[in-house]
Amino acid sequence: MIIYMGISLNNKIITFSLLLLSMVIMPRAYSESGCNDGSINNTCVQVFVKSKAGQALVDMVVYLEPLNGQVLEQSSQEVIVGQFDKSFTPYISVSQSKSTVNFVNKDDITHHIYSAGSDNKFSFKIRAGETNTSTQFNHASEVAMGCNIHDWMSGYLLVVDTPYFGKTNEKGQVSFDVSKQGKYNIVVWHPQMQAKNNRMSIEKNIVAPSAFTLTLPEDISDTPVQKSDDDFDFLSDY
Amino acid sequence: MNKAGKAIGHFLILLTYFQLHTSQAAEFSAHGILDVRISQVDSLEQSYLASGQGKFALGDGLQLSVAQAGADLSITWDNGLSAHGVVNAYLKGTGDGEDSALGFTEAYFKYRTLPTASGYRFQTRAGIFYPEISLENDAYAWASKDTLNSSSLNTWIGEEVRVLGTEVKVTRLGRLNNDDYDLSLSATAFINNDPTGALLAWHGWTTSSRQTLWAEKRPFPWFPALGEGQTLAGQARESDPFLEIDHRAGYHVRGEWLLHGKGEFSAGYYNNRATPYKVVDGQYGWHTRFYHLGARWRFSKNITLVAQYLSGDTLMQSHLREDVVNNDYANAFVALTYKWQTLPWSEKSANKKHKSTIRLEDFSVTDNDDTWGDNNNEDGQALTLSHSYRMSKHWFLSAEFNLTDSHRPARGYTGKPIDLIEKQWQVAARYFF
Repeated sequence: MIIYMGISLNNKIITFSLLLLSMVIMPRAYSESGCNDGSINNTCVQVFVKSKAGQALVDMVVYLEPLNGQVLEQSSQEVIVGQFDKSFTPYISVSQSKSTVNFVNKDDITHHIYSAGSDNKFSFKIRAGETNTSTQFNHASEVAMGCNIHDWMSGYLLVVDTPYFGKTNEKGQVSFDVSKQGKYNIVVWHPQMQAKNNRMSIEKNIVAPSAFTLTLPEDISDTPVQKSDDDFDFLSDY
Repeated sequence: MNKAGKAIGHFLILLTYFQLHTSQAAEFSAHGILDVRISQVDSLEQSYLASGQGKFALGDGLQLSVAQAGADLSITWDNGLSAHGVVNAYLKGTGDGEDSALGFTEAYFKYRTLPTASGYRFQTRAGIFYPEISLENDAYAWASKDTLNSSSLNTWIGEEVRVLGTEVKVTRLGRLNNDDYDLSLSATAFINNDPTGALLAWHGWTTSSRQTLWAEKRPFPWFPALGEGQTLAGQARESDPFLEIDHRAGYHVRGEWLLHGKGEFSAGYYNNRATPYKVVDGQYGWHTRFYHLGARWRFSKNITLVAQYLSGDTLMQSHLREDVVNNDYANAFVALTYKWQTLPWSEKSANKKHKSTIRLEDFSVTDNDDTWGDNNNEDGQALTLSHSYRMSKHWFLSAEFNLTDSHRPARGYTGKPIDLIEKQWQVAARYFF
């Protein structure tokens, strides 16, 4: 909406009509729910993730797994796994299988990114400022990544078989516009979650806009500090 | 061309050959340091580097010097292999110190695998390198990061402990095992470090930023046992620490426990297995063994402690296998570095541009033999106060005060005081790249 308004500055009539249109859509688009599609066919699902003590948990991965054989579209969202200040930024990324994953080195040094897990084994060197898209992630998996030059670097990529994925905001909330109603497994994942496969889930039949809250039975353990013990910039790797 | 020169020559030929015959993408990098200093020295006229008894790099007086010009060159291939060459130069100061010198300090290949799914990684180095001992000299070209002068412990490592060998290191990465620590074990088999111990015996513990270049000979002060007809008359007047004399390999083993975000503890053992009664061209084998302990600990984001301890012995014998030099030695230091987040005289954040280090050292050599005219006993302490300011990304301004207080009877052989306090003020501009 905003973009169109900018382009049509010279045409007051179009601007005005678009403004009117946006006023109709805006309340729905920026509602508290976080759902941003006004389409009548979609069902807004909000998920809240809370700690045992009831606090909102941020950066928890939530995804909806279809259980009734719903055929879902391929997400067009490309993921960026950044390397910045000798750390994986963000620490956790999520992507739908078969989507493009961009590794972007924002540092002025080379990194040697790898995953050692037998599921998704890969490695490549990525020079300063480069983007690497050479690695395909074609099936759901939990990818633990490191850098073979900077051992303290630690990042995760969760690959899921659904376009409904996201990370919770500061309110512990994430929302999905579900296009195919039916039964879903609502899964919460975090690499430091004290649970089997680092995740917990509930099965829900999604037929109407709804909100669900998942409360973790155990506190998640500390996320690793991605920082060298020594911040001197001219260390030789002896 | 001597043996060592040949070894480096072969390394360079191999490197060229490898680069020409591989399709792997290679990345070249050049790093290093330039360290220019003004030093006010209150010690003795001649420093240990100029065959004197002074414990610092330079003798008495106000002097300008290039304390280190070092380049750390490497080629890294995508398959985990890399080649490293470290060149160091020391330019003659304005005083009567040693002459300028330029040469290799290290030259080696390194190969590092990716970790396995269970977190084990293998690494090997082959060539000329420092056994992993120093916790101070981890900047490019083996420069000391927090102080201008290395501790006496690591000054000795830089002077006499270097190997031509192969190191194998296994690391277990905690990240892949849900542990917050990494464990490493390494073992090195080496040659070309047989006369190690001679310089420590004959000039004692010293402190500077000088590293012995590969194949370089180093002088030591005169003592009566070198005289004609005396026990050590056959000893060359300069020691050549990186020689192979008896064709027996030595070894070094080391273990390390690194706690993520906290610090590390390490322990190691070095034994050159030199035959103590073998002598070639005036260079004796010195059977030198020591163990070493190291700790680095971050108490907070401001305060880091580094401590090392080294203790061992060395033995050199006549061809009749009688002990000529039989010494025990020990050295320990503790250094605390404080990074200033804010400055007491300024409201603005210091942004870690200022750091201060205090280092205390204690060292000794115990002479266990009866050789006349060669007393190697020494007992001393040292204090270092250092402050460094990072002016820009690459430039560091440092000011440092060094003090050593030592008891060394051998100084009496050349009419110098047996008990001596030496002091030095240094201001340095260091450029790292």
